[in-house]
Amino acid sequence: MNSIQPFPSPLTTPTGTRASRGLGLVVFLGMVLLTLLGLFFTDEDVVQGSTVRLMYIHVPTAWVAYLAFIVTAVASAMYMWGKQHSLTFDRIAGASAEVGVIFMGLSLVTGSLWGRLTWGTYWQWDPRLTTTVFLFVTYVGYLAVRDLGGSHQQRAKRSGVVALLAVLEIPLVHFSVVLWRSLHQEASVLQPNGNVTMDGLMLFTLLFGVAVFTLLFAWMVLHRQRVLTLADAIDDGGLEAALQERRSEAN
Amino acid sequence: MALNDDALNLTPREAVPTAQSVRSQKRRWKPALLLVAILVFGGVVVTKFLSSAIDYYCNVDEVGVRSGCEGTRRLRVQGAVDEGSLKKAAGMTIFSMSFNKKTLDVRYDGDPGGVFQECIPVVAHGRMVNGVFLSDRIEVKHSNAYSTENKDRIDKAEAAACSLPKL
Repeated sequence: MNSIQPFPSPLTTPTGTRASRGLGLVVFLGMVLLTLLGLFFTDEDVVQGSTVRLMYIHVPTAWVAYLAFIVTAVASAMYMWGKQHSLTFDRIAGASAEVGVIFMGLSLVTGSLWGRLTWGTYWQWDPRLTTTVFLFVTYVGYLAVRDLGGSHQQRAKRSGVVALLAVLEIPLVHFSVVLWRSLHQEASVLQPNGNVTMDGLMLFTLLFGVAVFTLLFAWMVLHRQRVLTLADAIDDGGLEAALQERRSEAN
Repeated sequence: MALNDDALNLTPREAVPTAQSVRSQKRRWKPALLLVAILVFGGVVVTKFLSSAIDYYCNVDEVGVRSGCEGTRRLRVQGAVDEGSLKKAAGMTIFSMSFNKKTLDVRYDGDPGGVFQECIPVVAHGRMVNGVFLSDRIEVKHSNAYSTENKDRIDKAEAAACSLPKL
């Protein structure tokens, strides 16, 4: 029997590089500073009190989820319309969607806790909450579609179509508080008239949180897409092994 | 070594089920089932959107005027709690709320808690009975303005709430 082409093992092939470890360190330090800013350096809101500190997690997680789903759509488009139909783009799309679903879930949980403390209820079927949960469910569906089987190219084409359709929900979610009557407040920073209705250090902490969470997203997607590359390589290795076995039987 | 006829036979063989192939088939059912569950849940969410979210509340000035805000049905009504109207008596919270210069008297059985206070916008759930809105749930809407307490300002929360832009 011929020797089987070895394929990389996730146990022996690290997904980290010097650059990604450096990025991880920056994210860690950023998170420490964000915690200090959010819990100790910023003051309470004059109406909401300490509850406002949830904003420094809730808004960045929602932002990262939007960003992740946009990256998924862009990477899917690059796969579909790229000359080489590179699976790297498909794996970036998949990794980004996975991270986005995690952050969208975190945003829903932190929003629900914030809602309990201010609105007096964990959940209401208001426009923002309903469209957000629909977006979350859509991307869980996207991940299920990726796992339906078939070749890597089939997976990439199938999930690429879903990604390009699903991303259209994001404007609907973001502008739901303007389009319909919502319990959720309107945007404080990205207002259509450009106004910012937030005090200085609060605004700085919020924007710092958005920056740190964005770097965390980049770090997570970097590693996850490398893991997906290894998983695909293992699948390909299994196929190659089967072909080698069949060939060896003929000899 | 020369290839014989058998070696060139490319007819697909009948697959012999192995533990791995059985596992693989089982694995494909899971995402398919998950997808069905997601489609069902997505349908529920869309139904909720059309039945509840798209028209979440009526404003005070729309009660009994606008279609869907008839006083004979259960309503969600939005308005700002009037300054000086808030009273507590026998476990009841009594206040009036206004929107577009129309006022509605509200009685809530209990204490809304949280950041409920005068001048803050609220959504009250309940029914109109003899011209009074009997509420069993109060949701406090907080504005999109965030500011810290500052000794140079009038820093009472009540004052801050009353200084918010009026609805």
